[in-house]
Amino acid sequence: MDVLLVVGTRKGLFLIRESGNEWQLEEPLLPGWQINHAVLDPRDGSLYACTNSWVYGGTVHRSTDLGKTWERSEELGLPEESGLKLASTWHLEPGHPSQPDTLWLGGEPGVLFRSDDSGATWAANEALLGHETRERWAPGAGGLVCHSIALDPGNAGRLWIGISAAGVFRSEDGGESFEPANAGTEACFLPDDPFPEVGQCVHKVLAHPARPERLWQQNHCGVYRSDDAGASWERLDENGLPSPFGFALALDPADPDVAYVIPEEGAENRVTSDGRLGIYRTGDAGASWTPTVAVDPAWAAVLREGMSFDADGGVYAGTQSGFVYALRDGQVTEAARHLPPILSVEASTWQ
Amino acid sequence: MAVVLLPGLLATEAGGQKRFELEVETVGAALHALPVANLLLDEAGAVRPLVHVYVNGERERDLAAPLPPGACVRIVAAIAGG
Repeated sequence: MDVLLVVGTRKGLFLIRESGNEWQLEEPLLPGWQINHAVLDPRDGSLYACTNSWVYGGTVHRSTDLGKTWERSEELGLPEESGLKLASTWHLEPGHPSQPDTLWLGGEPGVLFRSDDSGATWAANEALLGHETRERWAPGAGGLVCHSIALDPGNAGRLWIGISAAGVFRSEDGGESFEPANAGTEACFLPDDPFPEVGQCVHKVLAHPARPERLWQQNHCGVYRSDDAGASWERLDENGLPSPFGFALALDPADPDVAYVIPEEGAENRVTSDGRLGIYRTGDAGASWTPTVAVDPAWAAVLREGMSFDADGGVYAGTQSGFVYALRDGQVTEAARHLPPILSVEASTWQ
Repeated sequence: MAVVLLPGLLATEAGGQKRFELEVETVGAALHALPVANLLLDEAGAVRPLVHVYVNGERERDLAAPLPPGACVRIVAAIAGG
């Protein structure tokens, strides 16, 4: 089984296929669209892309033939009574395996959608739209974006979402209601109230697929782990990481104690730390971190959707300067170069 | 009948068709009749800010504006982006 990298960029979608020891870059797909995130649905092989345009707004495209032909969502928008309009589509998460036609979609301004017809039509999540804390949410540099959607493989009713800058929210009832899940995570940019109920600038949240009560979070203000499904968080970034700041996050499905981050200098200088592109790994649940240096020197940046992992421990990162790197068995290889600025990377296997 | 002309990306989204002949009476009806209506109009039915509609060479902002017989409606994407 070889790896297929699905790479979303500011200017189109790219597929990079592994064939033997070679990476093969295919012709661009969806030219003219900004792809904030794209993913291959492991349930049926459909390819989904969060497609955005300055002119034509945000939507979702679906292909059932790996990009040869596309369908666009027919109904996607916010209800008029909300007073909000959909600004962009950001992250698409295939639903629970027991719900084969269900998809989740995060977007701006801090909104979540669910589709039960494989993306043809979408319903806005009312619980988030009218959440009692919404007036305390504030947009980050990328907008008020719902960018993380983590599902519990063992419980179709449980999901977590991450919104910048509102924080992490957990649902135990399939999205009928959401509760803030930010205890212990800092909002370091709010000096008068650094541990609020909501308002944290979460950059990425992932649930470990084999131990989903264990969550990992790269935040504007630190790297965190939760072992109780988000009820509390422990900060992990003072044991070998050069900076608490970063966006990208990856896990190892075979080992819940493993995680990867790519630290950046800080909020005011968003380039990789120490003038190099270092992918930092912990193998002890965040007690210590050690880097694998992909490029030195480098002042790169990997965005929140820009790192992914496969089932065999491989990690893949795409930079805003258009390079894609693969980290496997401690070795880094270059999978692509000179792409448009990379916004997302997802690793899949294909036959 | 009105003729509607689409720019490249919209024509791709319309299955490769860039010219439509429509039996419609208003600008709004013309936009709604296109297979790319949800790219031209937002969820509230308003024309997206960077979508410009020209009728016989004149910018038209009113969706209720009537289309004269044989009108040529051209959709133009405003200059934006980078």
